[in-house]
Amino acid sequence: MGGYIAKRVGQAILVIWLAYTAVFLAVQALPNDPVTIFLSTDAAADPATIAQMKAYYGYDQPLILQYLSQLAGLLRGDFGYSLSAGAEVTSRIGDVIGSTLVLAGSAFVVAVVLAVALVAAASLARGARLRKALLNLPPLFISIPVFWLGLVLLQVLAVQLGVMSLFPDGSFLSLAVPILVLAIHLSAPIAQVLLKSVQEVNAQPFVDVLRAKGAGESWIFFRHTLKNAAPAALSIAGITIGTLLAGSVITETVFARAGLGQLVLQAVTVQDIPLVQGLVLLTAAAFTLVNLLVDLIHPQLDPRIINANAGPPRALAA
Amino acid sequence: MRPPRLALKATALIAALGLSLTACGGNSTGAEAGTSQGVAGEPVQGGSFVFAEVTPINNWQTQAARFYEKANVLHSVLDRLTYFDVESGQLVGWIATDFTSNEDKTEYTFTIRDGVTFSNGTALDAAAVKANLDALGLGIEEAQIQPNVDFSAYESAEVVGDNQVKVTLKRPDANFLRATSSVAAGLVAPETLELDNAGQSAIAQIVGSGPFVFESEKPDEEVVFAAREDYAWAPETAANQGAPYLDELVIKYLPEVAHRAGAAQSGQVDLVRGLQPVDEDALSAGGGQVLAAQGVDLTANQAAVRIGSGKLEDVKVRQALQVGIDRQALKDTVLSDSYVISGSVLNRQAPGFVDLSDELAYDPETSKKLLDEAGWVEGADGIREKDGEKLEITVASSNNSVVIKPAFELIEQQWREIGVKLVNRAADNAFLTNALVDDQIEFFGTRQFAYGGLGPVYGPANNTQTLNADAELNDLFTREQAATTDEEHLKLIEEEQRELVLDKALTLVLWDEVQVYGAHQDAHIEFTSGTAPIFQGAWKSNG
Repeated sequence: MGGYIAKRVGQAILVIWLAYTAVFLAVQALPNDPVTIFLSTDAAADPATIAQMKAYYGYDQPLILQYLSQLAGLLRGDFGYSLSAGAEVTSRIGDVIGSTLVLAGSAFVVAVVLAVALVAAASLARGARLRKALLNLPPLFISIPVFWLGLVLLQVLAVQLGVMSLFPDGSFLSLAVPILVLAIHLSAPIAQVLLKSVQEVNAQPFVDVLRAKGAGESWIFFRHTLKNAAPAALSIAGITIGTLLAGSVITETVFARAGLGQLVLQAVTVQDIPLVQGLVLLTAAAFTLVNLLVDLIHPQLDPRIINANAGPPRALAA
Repeated sequence: MRPPRLALKATALIAALGLSLTACGGNSTGAEAGTSQGVAGEPVQGGSFVFAEVTPINNWQTQAARFYEKANVLHSVLDRLTYFDVESGQLVGWIATDFTSNEDKTEYTFTIRDGVTFSNGTALDAAAVKANLDALGLGIEEAQIQPNVDFSAYESAEVVGDNQVKVTLKRPDANFLRATSSVAAGLVAPETLELDNAGQSAIAQIVGSGPFVFESEKPDEEVVFAAREDYAWAPETAANQGAPYLDELVIKYLPEVAHRAGAAQSGQVDLVRGLQPVDEDALSAGGGQVLAAQGVDLTANQAAVRIGSGKLEDVKVRQALQVGIDRQALKDTVLSDSYVISGSVLNRQAPGFVDLSDELAYDPETSKKLLDEAGWVEGADGIREKDGEKLEITVASSNNSVVIKPAFELIEQQWREIGVKLVNRAADNAFLTNALVDDQIEFFGTRQFAYGGLGPVYGPANNTQTLNADAELNDLFTREQAATTDEEHLKLIEEEQRELVLDKALTLVLWDEVQVYGAHQDAHIEFTSGTAPIFQGAWKSNG
């Protein structure tokens, strides 16, 4: 197990370093440096000013030196200076990251609860029509665009009925509605994978054995089926962090919330290179970290993952 | 496995519901149309005024205030030496009670108003003004703050007597005085000028002498300003000469364009910028106000011509394109009644404006004739060509205007009829960043702050528009900037417009710059010549 963890952590660091290097190289392909881009928003910048500022921020150095000094800066926690924001990249990100963590974290939890509830309801539903209707919800959820649902809900709740604010004002609804909008979209892939996995587990003989022993349907579902079906859903939940970040760009814009999504949009719009680099690095780190966590939890749920020579698949809990 | 019908039905139902709600959102209160208007009645004291800007910003450094998002707020935080009064078309006193220049327009003397203080208690005296002028004219190297582009002629300033500041310029500049009215020339406390770049960019640390004072901030969501009770130095012509009527000003952000009309109508905001033309009718039908702030300080929205690719080198081609634009159709289809078609490159209310509307009338037949004369003949696909090269030209612009992309889409159709293909890269910021300095990209769609004449925008030192496509014009702009009397200055500005728009056709003018705001029915607000809301004079009927 120790070797497994070390290997996974090492891979995670490698992925982050490669992501940073790739972004650094990609940015060099742009025709202009951060100082020129920043000053080009003004009517006309004096070449002497550009040269002086480039020297100050080190953009006049040879590429390899820029790369190494930026990398050294990263290790010290210095992500560079964002000219468009007039602030250190770390402080700019620090200003808004909390808001995104609250939104994305809550949305993730709600999405998982929603997905499990949906799958449980669909699996345990008695009527065929009700079951059919529930089975159709995930495809529906994933086909509703996040921005559209957000716009409609705000139009109804904030503009027509006036029960919530168009702005994040700290009220319950102004936090719950964006979380729900994001969670609905996010729950769909988790529910779909979980459902498929539950159906596979249900087809296994041990379920019939349990049933023959007289176990109730919900006891079988929660104590056996769900446990066996969970690993697949966990993997997909790890991947959804990408969806979560993309979703927060939209959710934060629609709900006028501060956050990383909005910041990405601003940074890309004004081509603030250090800010973009910092955000890409953060995203890569978040992605890697979550998947590392998934990799570390997986063996707890399914020991076969480490013990690769365990032979043919077998049910865990029968 | 998946019966599609139910899902389909449910989706369709939700979609229909949502669409109908969105569609009727604008006019549900059914109040009478177009009840607006500004400042009628006796001002009501007190209240909190919520203004929603388009995008959150973080960098509030004064000289970087060339974006509306910053200027609209900083106008109420930072006072300037002078103020441009749109009604009289005159520059009037503000922090400077008097301003004079020598014959050559190389020396300007400002008399500083007595008793003005910054919100931290420091006096706004001649020494503070000198410190600000030095920062504007020379930049602050230690803080990586570049000089203000409108101050390119600045050499030095000295305090004269008790309360005067004398500015010396490197060369005559007839437009210098007007530039002191710009928000980007806002006066900050000397303590602010001592801060590093991050300090001078932070709204919490920018100390001004204006009618509103920073109180609190939630990054990217909200900035709150409190009214300054002892404010008593408004511009000479301001209706309100004292403290703001409002108690508090709250800046919020509505990046989602679809919410702006609803926000103003429902009263969740008192004022919002960036209303789309399609939302204007719904808002006024719903009892809200549609307020068009004319950008007198700015050039018209234009496609500035670059001739590096050679396709537009012949003036006949440029003139053909100028009259190949049906501006009325532009207004009728893409814009709205809030927009005024350009009569020149300057705003209709700007000093020296010459009305060239007749010469700019839509005339596709003349266009075709001019293009024929220039040797561009129609190819098999309807696009003209010459020496095997197609008349295919590209426009780049930022995404700052909500209407710029659809406007160029319509022009693309109009030009197709005269055999010209336009590649529309409007509203593509990434493309623009590089196109800005590339004379191979034929058009730069833009509007610029033009304080005074056209020299500061098109003159050889600052020309990011046409990139100095014409040497003769450079001479004209230089002469305009060096004009020593008002008559001569205005005459040269007129000449510049004829040359730029007609004789050389180096800019294709479209519509006068305007910022369309949505306001709640109870809000009373007016705007500066730079389209900034004047919160100091604003009030709410319901307090």
